[in-house]
Amino acid sequence: MANDVVEDHPYLPGGLIALDQWKTPETSVQKTIRGAFRDILDQLRAGISPEEQAFQSLDDLPMLSGDRLKEFAPEPDAALLAQVLVDQFDLLHRDGACHREVNFVVAPPFSGVKEALRCLSRRVLTPPDNLLMTEQDAGAWWDEQLSGGDWVIPELADFWLRHPGGLNLLRELFARIALDHAGNGMVGCSSWCWQFWRQYSPELSLAPYTLAPLTGEQLTRWLDYLASGQGEQQVTARMTRDGLYVLPAPGQDSALKYSSFNQDLATLARGNRGVALAIWQRTLRARPEKDDEDSGKEVVRLAGRRCWVAPLDQISLPSVPASAGRQPSHILHALLLHDGLDTEQVALVTGLQKQDIALTLDRLIRSELVGRAPESDVYRVTPLGYSAVRKNLQARGYPVDGF
Amino acid sequence: MGDFGFKETFASITTDALLNALMVVILASLVIMLVQKLLPALAGKLGGKLRLYLLASVPLLRLLIIVLTIVTVVPILVEPSFENMVAIFGALGLALGFAFKDYANSLIAGIVTLYEMPYRPGDWIEVNGRYGEVRSIGTRAAEIVTLDDTVIVIPHSLLWNTLLANGNDGTDNLMCVAELHLDPNHNVARMQQLFRDVVFTCPLTKTYQPVIVTVSATDDAMRYRLKAYPLEPREQSRFISDLTARAADVCAREGVRMVSKRVTDAA
Repeated sequence: MANDVVEDHPYLPGGLIALDQWKTPETSVQKTIRGAFRDILDQLRAGISPEEQAFQSLDDLPMLSGDRLKEFAPEPDAALLAQVLVDQFDLLHRDGACHREVNFVVAPPFSGVKEALRCLSRRVLTPPDNLLMTEQDAGAWWDEQLSGGDWVIPELADFWLRHPGGLNLLRELFARIALDHAGNGMVGCSSWCWQFWRQYSPELSLAPYTLAPLTGEQLTRWLDYLASGQGEQQVTARMTRDGLYVLPAPGQDSALKYSSFNQDLATLARGNRGVALAIWQRTLRARPEKDDEDSGKEVVRLAGRRCWVAPLDQISLPSVPASAGRQPSHILHALLLHDGLDTEQVALVTGLQKQDIALTLDRLIRSELVGRAPESDVYRVTPLGYSAVRKNLQARGYPVDGF
Repeated sequence: MGDFGFKETFASITTDALLNALMVVILASLVIMLVQKLLPALAGKLGGKLRLYLLASVPLLRLLIIVLTIVTVVPILVEPSFENMVAIFGALGLALGFAFKDYANSLIAGIVTLYEMPYRPGDWIEVNGRYGEVRSIGTRAAEIVTLDDTVIVIPHSLLWNTLLANGNDGTDNLMCVAELHLDPNHNVARMQQLFRDVVFTCPLTKTYQPVIVTVSATDDAMRYRLKAYPLEPREQSRFISDLTARAADVCAREGVRMVSKRVTDAA
């Protein structure tokens, strides 16, 4: 299983890889040190100016919005990703690298796996209303659910609660999968949920696969593929400050000068496509700081649509509010472990009072760290705030995912 | 040889030299005060290991400043010849040896503390039955703050001949134990599993550190010990309380009676 990487697809650059092969995109020592100092300053700043925690654009250039934004940075096509995932698992099975009846994909939040698995033409298993089940009830529930042909669980984190009574459903499922008594299925699992269960059951070995992290080059290809309507139309994106190119993806004999923006973005997002896309959407601008014509430069003008990209130092991402207590961190950690919770569930897993939860959630929403799903009462960490939340939790000793 | 050459050595000290030396000492004291105030304040705003590193750097920086001050002040006062140095350190040795023996003992132990680091600011230590977090390490003594918010001053000289227990030893990993005594005649394996679930589902638990539930039989009770690491050592009281409360809930749900320690001891 050590080298189980299947062939590349523009929608899934790097393909599916074994979980233990995942590593963060490489960056220079200088950038790592600069990033560490920036993190410390952010922590200190959060204590000094608590009102400046939400996203801020530090330039005064017009941002892309509405249809224009959808043109240049559309949301990924979940059905297409689903098809690619199925194809890649088929390849793995054909090559004999994967021989379990249940395919397991562990991915960090916002990777798009959950949305993709919902599009599969299989029976989608949804969690029961009551997650606090006894061992016997959990066994009976799975007997019923797994007996009707091929199935898919888009997000396993929806099937448990971090509560002494909320572990039985997953414990039972893992035992069945380990013994190949669960039929043919496919499971998507948030990396945070997986990390908890790996620590809870060190013997758990389901040979999960994950999406390869996006390096700068792969991120360029992916963003280009998204923006160009899957390669149908050329798109050009250049830096607002110096005009260096970000898109299109450089060809072998390209004479264009490229910015290191995508490399920096991949590092900032830790190779996470959803986080990278959210930041990318906030960096797109309608015009540059200075037009090439104004500056008298001679430039190569590529055909197709064109937009501009603000440097990463011109945006200020949300930061976690400084707090004397642990309430915000407890809530953020619980939301990530379960891929979103409603207030009742937050109270159940954190032991906090509902009134306190409401106050803290309100603060986190104002900081753009947490968002509320429009169709339900479920709160989730936002992709834009994810990096800050993960760093904060790690600094405060919380168990974090390996991604 | 009668005055060890003190007269010649100190005769050259002028008022200007004394004033200059005094200025250097005052400046150094101000810098030390600044370091001792600023770094702990900064550390308070940061979490995790960075906090511990910052706190641990305070006594080291102070020692560095003191050494630099001595190196700066001595040449201002006297010519740093071999004879003069012997005279100065001889005088210092005599004064410390006779008049301030215990004080000197603590000073030297303080320097050894910085080198061997048996405790650093942020460590949770127990000395002579007193348990608390090391708040600061002074030149002569360390200050610890107990769980009841009482400050205890511990002279470094205790280091020479006292057993010292350090709970986290410079890290942010401090094992805590929640102890429960249960009425016997219950399903021990099930209770162990349930208590393990209790620890794993407590939001204050570092699940990436070992979680252990042990059980042993006493005369009238089964003694369970839930051992795990809190997110931060400072949260140990809250952590143990939380584990105990959650474990008590489990006992109530399972119909297993808890036995108080006092009753057990009396029996």
